[in-house]
Amino acid sequence: LASRATNIYPLYQLGNPQLRIFRPNWFLTLVRPGKEQPPDTVQFRIPMEMTKYDVKNYLEKIYDVPVGAIRTRIQFGSNKKRNHLHQKVKQPDYKVAYVQLAQGQTFTFPDIFPEKELKHEEGSMEEMQEKFMEDEKQRQRLDPRRGGVTEWFGL
Amino acid sequence: MATSSSAGRVLSLCKQFQNVVRISSAVNTQSCSPALTKLPPRQYREKSPLAALSWRSPSSSVAPCRALHTTISRRGLDEFFDLPENWGETTVKSGAPWTAKQLRTKSNEDLHKLWYVLLKEKNLLLTLEQEAKRQRVPMSSPERIRKVERSMIRLETVVNERESALRMLQTGQEKARPGAWRRDKFGHVYWYRFKEYAIPWYMNRRYKRKSFFTPKFVQPHIRLRLEKYLRQRARKTSLERRTQSKLKEKFPHANISAS
Repeated sequence: LASRATNIYPLYQLGNPQLRIFRPNWFLTLVRPGKEQPPDTVQFRIPMEMTKYDVKNYLEKIYDVPVGAIRTRIQFGSNKKRNHLHQKVKQPDYKVAYVQLAQGQTFTFPDIFPEKELKHEEGSMEEMQEKFMEDEKQRQRLDPRRGGVTEWFGL
Repeated sequence: MATSSSAGRVLSLCKQFQNVVRISSAVNTQSCSPALTKLPPRQYREKSPLAALSWRSPSSSVAPCRALHTTISRRGLDEFFDLPENWGETTVKSGAPWTAKQLRTKSNEDLHKLWYVLLKEKNLLLTLEQEAKRQRVPMSSPERIRKVERSMIRLETVVNERESALRMLQTGQEKARPGAWRRDKFGHVYWYRFKEYAIPWYMNRRYKRKSFFTPKFVQPHIRLRLEKYLRQRARKTSLERRTQSKLKEKFPHANISAS
């Protein structure tokens, strides 16, 4: 949204009303911390234009999350790697916010990709292929009565 | 941390069910919008911000309407993650994005709430994407992000349309931000948008260094640029004409306007 990208806030002079932003165009990404963090700390990637107060209000008003301290830093994206044309490729910079929750709440980053058993639906192509592969493997396996030993040995 | 109680969940309505569950009469559409509002692209999630609407219609004044009450989700940081059933799936079902036509039928309050629903959905998808990159696993149905983006862009255009119409009626101004047509040093005429300053322009040193006029020695350059532009345009038209004549030569009976 070009209008928001070049957003200019109205000038503030003493006595002006509090700046309100309707329909904020900022998106937070909750990330798993690279280094071990204290249990009440949540790590976010935030847009460069956001400040600590913005993040605090965002989380409190939109997500109803009680926020204690916030610290931010800007991560420099590397400009070292080169592509097949030997041109430098820049990885984008991003801002990281470490949010500590108030009221003694804790947060652990959950495991979002647990191992799930792939069950194909009945009569589908994938199920038939799976069955075929199973049968093939069964034929390749050696005699279990002889303890899996090859036919090269013995009678 | 992600406790999911199905007791408090209400199956959200998506577009396909909208025609089936037509509860209220035409009079009471205002108060019964939770039932009729179409959801963002996902089907099976609880909708939180629309609960406030139901508080205003506790079945007292509007008799023929059955108010649908949804609980406000108090899951806090869990809203950054999907329902636990969808963790680990390769594909997650999601509906079509909102079109501008559908959004224009909605009231301003509904649009405001929908914006936040879409915002939270996008945050969810972005966290999922980042975690998928971290775990080196393909993200489930990545097209959802684009769908939400498109819905948000369309919502923004609809809101801007309404704002601009209101501004035209009330003040007669077409644009929210004042501006003027100005020339730059190279002879280009462009729309310069004004910026708010605390001091007048004649006290602003940086502003005075910007010259909004074209010096006389730039005129030859402007002429050459104009000639170049006209030459390119002439080349394009002659190329078109040449291709058309060649095609007509090869295929005399063909329909020219189609190509």
